[in-house]
Amino acid sequence: MDRLKLPRSVLVRVLIRSFTLQASWNFERLQSLGVFYTLAPALRCLYRGEELELACRRHLEYFNTHPLLASPILGTILSLEEKRKRGEESYLGVQEFKGMVMAPYAAIGDALFWGAVRPLAAGVALFPAVRGTLWAPLVFLGLFNVPHLWFRVVGLFRGYFLELRVIENIQRRRLPDLAIRLKEGTVVLLGGLCAYMTFLCLRDEAVAVGWGLVVLPLVVLLGRLARRGVSTLLLVLVTSAILLISTHG
Amino acid sequence: MPVADYLTAASVAVLAGLDRTAALQMMVSRPIVVAPLTGWLLGDPLTGLQAGALVELLWMGRLPVGAAIPPDDTQVAIGSTVLAITMGHLTGFAGSAFTILCILITLPLGKVGQLFDRWARHWNGRLLQRAQDAVAAGQFKKAEQSHLWGLGHFAAASLGTFVVIVAAGSLVLYHLAPLLIGPVRNAAPWLQVAFPVLGTSIILSSINVRRSMTLFGASFTTALLMLWLL
Repeated sequence: MDRLKLPRSVLVRVLIRSFTLQASWNFERLQSLGVFYTLAPALRCLYRGEELELACRRHLEYFNTHPLLASPILGTILSLEEKRKRGEESYLGVQEFKGMVMAPYAAIGDALFWGAVRPLAAGVALFPAVRGTLWAPLVFLGLFNVPHLWFRVVGLFRGYFLELRVIENIQRRRLPDLAIRLKEGTVVLLGGLCAYMTFLCLRDEAVAVGWGLVVLPLVVLLGRLARRGVSTLLLVLVTSAILLISTHG
Repeated sequence: MPVADYLTAASVAVLAGLDRTAALQMMVSRPIVVAPLTGWLLGDPLTGLQAGALVELLWMGRLPVGAAIPPDDTQVAIGSTVLAITMGHLTGFAGSAFTILCILITLPLGKVGQLFDRWARHWNGRLLQRAQDAVAAGQFKKAEQSHLWGLGHFAAASLGTFVVIVAAGSLVLYHLAPLLIGPVRNAAPWLQVAFPVLGTSIILSSINVRRSMTLFGASFTTALLMLWLL
């Protein structure tokens, strides 16, 4: 059979569609309909008739991963579908590949993007925000979206061209380690931010700066309560009520 | 405040609501972005910036992991900005104390967003069945369109949350603002510190970094001492 390659226009359509991966997120099969919708232009290009129906059914199966790390998976799925169409053997089928990588990629993505990049970007942007600078939202968007878009765009093409080697490619980047470093940076930033806000408050209220150190045991106490499952909302309302009562009159 | 302003804010609420889960996820939906954007469109970006920064600090550590649905901080940020601007005009109150009061009133209403979001995801389950039926019937275009209906469900959920927050918040503020603004004004400087301290505590409890308290303590103490000495 002739070497079959998807046209670049189809890859671009898949890329654009991948930005709506979670539009039909549901409790039954999570992102499955999104994966089907994203891959549909490529499936229509590769298959016809009954083969197309079978391919569609394959991608309506359960699927869930991190939305920003889905691109390398989707790219590899495309290359595996191409192989399948050409009748070539692969040591991993499409379904096996999806089943093997979606959970680890979800864990990596959650730790990296939701747990590290987003809080770090917010921590940096909060400094100009506290000073009343309107650049803060742009700082946040820039810091978050550079890695986000890189993973989405480059990830899809790497997945497609590297095929199963994309797994090694991602492993080599040691993303979980990077996530931990970024989280440590966020903790340091938040320490600085809390100190700055505490200093401003104490100075304006004419209270000795040394009292600011009271914040440390408070953070430990509130952190313990949060770890024991006390809701953020309850902590906010109780803390606010205590402050409103104690400063009244 | 003209109806056009409410419609503008509602449009932002819908678009940001879609960015939150269903489309793009460029994080325009984060409070620190969407609240100043709403404020800018309503003519007061600094009120939006203050509301956005405080809400961001509180919910920075809540992660949308797996099937967990966190409270709708996007609509809380938009709602508190809209209320601070609109109700400020109506009641004559303004400034950071009034913005904090608006945040305190809208925060519990963020829970409503979880209900609407769950409803949208539940309805999306029907789309899956519709798509499977369409594929079985050989109607592949129809199956693809089923996915896009999900955008409508998420948009409706965001709009519903926004309407509830603004309507309930306006009602509560109209009746209680004259009573509460005095105590909130007294406590405002302390509340502005309490929010980041609380948000940080919650992040440290869930960030999963060894010696996070040591790192935080060292950073906090060093920064406080340097600010004091300088």
